[in-house]
Amino acid sequence: MSAAIIFGLWFALLFTGMPISISLGLTVLTYFFTLSSVPMESVALKLFTGIEKFEIMAIPFFILAGNFLTHGGVARRMIDFATSLVGHLHGGLALGGVVACALFAAVSGSSPATVVAIGAIVLPAMLRQGYPRTFGAGVISTSGALGILIPPSIVMVMYAVSTNTSVGRLFVAGVVPGLLLATMLGVVTWYLAWRNDYPRLPRASLADIVRSFRASFWGLMLIVVVIGGIYSGVFTPTEAAAMSAVYAFVVAVYVYGDLTLAQVPKVLLASANMSAMLLYIITNAVLFSFLLTFENIPQTMAEWFVHHDMAPWVFLLGINLILLVAGCVMEPSSIVLIMAPLMFPILLRLGIDPIHFGILMTVNMEIGMVTPPVGLNLYVASGISGLGLSELSRAVLPWLLTMLVFLGLVTYLPQISLWLPRTLGMM
Amino acid sequence: MFLRVLDRLEEWIIASLVAAATLIIFAAVVHRHASTVPFLQNYALRLNMAWAQELCIYMFIWMAKFGAAYGVRTGIHVGVDLVLTRLRAPWHGRVVLFGLLAGALFTAVIASLGAHFVWRIAGTGQVSADMELPMWIVYLAVPCGSSLMCFRFLQVALAFVRTGHLPSHDQAQVEGVDLPGPQEAGR
Repeated sequence: MSAAIIFGLWFALLFTGMPISISLGLTVLTYFFTLSSVPMESVALKLFTGIEKFEIMAIPFFILAGNFLTHGGVARRMIDFATSLVGHLHGGLALGGVVACALFAAVSGSSPATVVAIGAIVLPAMLRQGYPRTFGAGVISTSGALGILIPPSIVMVMYAVSTNTSVGRLFVAGVVPGLLLATMLGVVTWYLAWRNDYPRLPRASLADIVRSFRASFWGLMLIVVVIGGIYSGVFTPTEAAAMSAVYAFVVAVYVYGDLTLAQVPKVLLASANMSAMLLYIITNAVLFSFLLTFENIPQTMAEWFVHHDMAPWVFLLGINLILLVAGCVMEPSSIVLIMAPLMFPILLRLGIDPIHFGILMTVNMEIGMVTPPVGLNLYVASGISGLGLSELSRAVLPWLLTMLVFLGLVTYLPQISLWLPRTLGMM
Repeated sequence: MFLRVLDRLEEWIIASLVAAATLIIFAAVVHRHASTVPFLQNYALRLNMAWAQELCIYMFIWMAKFGAAYGVRTGIHVGVDLVLTRLRAPWHGRVVLFGLLAGALFTAVIASLGAHFVWRIAGTGQVSADMELPMWIVYLAVPCGSSLMCFRFLQVALAFVRTGHLPSHDQAQVEGVDLPGPQEAGR
């Protein structure tokens, strides 16, 4: 009953178009003021302690690092390196774009940023070579989604803090699925290019490959700093994020020189703007899940599932459908922050591994980013390509279907996510 | 005049907090690893950087509260506009205004709750674990940031009534990359 009131009120507020964070907060306040006798003090305390965790601070650091990296230099060198590897195949430039997206995803924690950084360079080049605009926009907006699956990932940090799972383990668990998805997207791209006979680039000589690798070396080193640093225990995930921000700053300003010192305040301000927005959603989502827990809603749901002898595979199918629909209308961080704590007790009762579930949620969020009407990657790609949203939604179809197949694999083969962290002895 | 000073101050505060927090954590990590190097140990051990983590959290809390207010001004707080975009003239404006005023109401309530809470904490003389900073100073971020945010919501609502325009954050624009325009990309 209380669940119906809470969610009814929230949806009513949400669909007026007010900020998601405000709709969450107002729901909590309205409920507590009118329908319950919780002392307001404990609500106020949640307001302060909601984001008082060092793990959460990885988010602003990763955003800052990402913003330093999006400045042309790093992305352009990664694209050169990627095309020197795969450019001679059918659809070489498009394949280079997929590989570059995967590389950039390994230094950036955000999908739209990956689409912009890689797409803004690859897409115009593809058009010049005579690729159809829909093909180019389709491949870039879907490959850019790798940004949140291949670590580091802001969405994974959100999942980790709202379920108290380890950020490091999640990051490592994302590596194999990320590489698998990149391969699958690459194969589809190659097949489409081969059938339509899209242009190939001349094969790069070994010397070219070495030269482009050395040019992109400083950017690629960041992968070692983040993943190597976290895995070896040299840094905690938050420290790794701060180190990568400083490193990205040094590379962008001093090594590649693509960013002048005078532009740095603007980057800082833009990063602060984005992080504050996300931290504000976190604060209010913490309030919201405090309300849900206070009303015992997650526990009641878990009981219901166990009572009805729900097989885990049915539950996973249902949760995938819910997440896909939610992904169509809301942006990822809010979905993760609300759904993850709600689902967590059910996972424990059904014996589903939280790390596996985290990867599953991340893949769902990736798909949500390329499905209309609210798909951040589509907005970004539409800005770069000049295609409308409806044209783009058709353009991404071949890759979107691939991602759905991939989601099926990740859902029912937990080993894909759990093999690497287990092999490395992290769990 | 006052407004322009407030705008600049807000931007200056949040940008410097981000930069400072990053440098502090960087310094703390370097310091921790320097303390294991025999050659540097003597110097490193004289410094105590246990407070870094705590300071970083508090700086980000302040950054988040004031940044959220800045975000209202830049229109970065997104909502679900599925229904909103389908509404026609008089209702569209009414719903938008309702959303903005709801934001103002929420932040006003939070500001007063927060102020009350800070007042009570100040009475207890509670201090933070590592830096022994009075907690009421740390928590002051909530009433201050929330009042500023309320003010920004009212400002945006007033501008919307007058001109019909809302600040909107261009989602296709990621800071630092100058996108080629659609025409240029088409060449």
